[in-house]
Amino acid sequence: MTVHGGRLVHSRVVANLGDVLDLALEEAITGYATVEPQDALLLDAEGVGVLALEAGVPVAARHTGTGRVGRETLAELSVPGPCRVELYERDRPVQFADDPSNRIPPGLPADRLVRDADLANRTRSAAAERGTGERTDADALEAFLTDDDRVDAIRREARTEARQRAAEWGLTDALAEPVDSDVAVDE
Amino acid sequence: MVEAFAVASGKGGTGKTTSALALGMALAEEHDVTVVDADTGMANLLFHAGLADVDTTLHDLLVEEPALPVGDAVYERHGMSVVPCGTSLAGFRDAHPERLRHVVAELAATTDVLLLDSPAALGSKSAVLPIVLADRTITVLQPTVPALSDGLKVREYARSYGTEGAGVLFNRVTDESAVERVAESSDRYFDGPVLGVVPESGAVRAAREAGKPLLAHAPDSPAAAAYRDAARTLDVDAGDADVVADRFASAVVPDPP
Repeated sequence: MTVHGGRLVHSRVVANLGDVLDLALEEAITGYATVEPQDALLLDAEGVGVLALEAGVPVAARHTGTGRVGRETLAELSVPGPCRVELYERDRPVQFADDPSNRIPPGLPADRLVRDADLANRTRSAAAERGTGERTDADALEAFLTDDDRVDAIRREARTEARQRAAEWGLTDALAEPVDSDVAVDE
Repeated sequence: MVEAFAVASGKGGTGKTTSALALGMALAEEHDVTVVDADTGMANLLFHAGLADVDTTLHDLLVEEPALPVGDAVYERHGMSVVPCGTSLAGFRDAHPERLRHVVAELAATTDVLLLDSPAALGSKSAVLPIVLADRTITVLQPTVPALSDGLKVREYARSYGTEGAGVLFNRVTDESAVERVAESSDRYFDGPVLGVVPESGAVRAAREAGKPLLAHAPDSPAAAAYRDAARTLDVDAGDADVVADRFASAVVPDPP
């Protein structure tokens, strides 16, 4: 069964999800992984947990059976014992990843489902480098504000733009410092 | 004595208007407060304050030959003075942004705290004027990377005009730990402390639908409590009213040719 189409790249029953998350991260796979704990198989529960991946980074989650979304999906999948996991690659991210309520912090699956701090850290770093998973996520916020180069670039650009526009709008007299000739707009 | 704050964000949907009215109501317990909808292109404060049906708005004060006294667009609501802006395209088209300084100057003469609910985007002169005119900016941020990025941009614009930072109000927060972890860095970049952390709340939408400020509609909600805390953290530093009024009236913004 495929829930969102795509090409199956990996399918097996595993003791934990670490290897699959690692594989997706290393291969920078965009698509999704379905996770079905063995308990669920035995109990004949319906549906699977789906982790949306962007460039190998888990960014969102939902459960097709229970309808749980985001972090709650992970709580549901956080049960001991083996699980069946399938990894699918797609050309573009799955649509449910766009919904903020489905979003998860990138490091959370590694933290909660695998309890592998190293994998979680590598995932967070990859999320920051690859610009994914940044919509509702403490890790991404912290990574952003501690990325001095990125922040400085935004501020520099804004400063230049503010001064250029001040010239366009006749507000140069209101500027705290005189306009430099290199950023002034020719009248 | 008056201090003017631009409530700004750089991004729509962060809750600037809700925040401006909530801070206004909280500050009104100690100060004489005036809240102005300075978002002349996409006004919405009138809906939040139950003023959707009023005849006279800021737009009417910004037309070339207004002849209307500023007081005609000032409404006493919920313990504060509120100046809504109209929503018609014609009103926006006929408005002269430069006149905002005169309006602000006049309002400054009779209030302690001026809160200018500012436009989200910075793409026009009218949009940037509130942060040019204000003494300090209150940056309203959702704890997301795009919102922080846009907030940095607004802060840098404000800094370019010598407008100081009053701090950051994190709004619509679902994960408080996210804010705690970034508080130190955001302080560094937004020139002020984290004033408050306001949780995402259904009460905000309900208040908006009821046409009431949050603090009037759901005063006991956690979000309302967070706004009151933020207002206490905001250390109002009111300057001399005459000086401020004079600055608004005479300084910076040239009249249209």
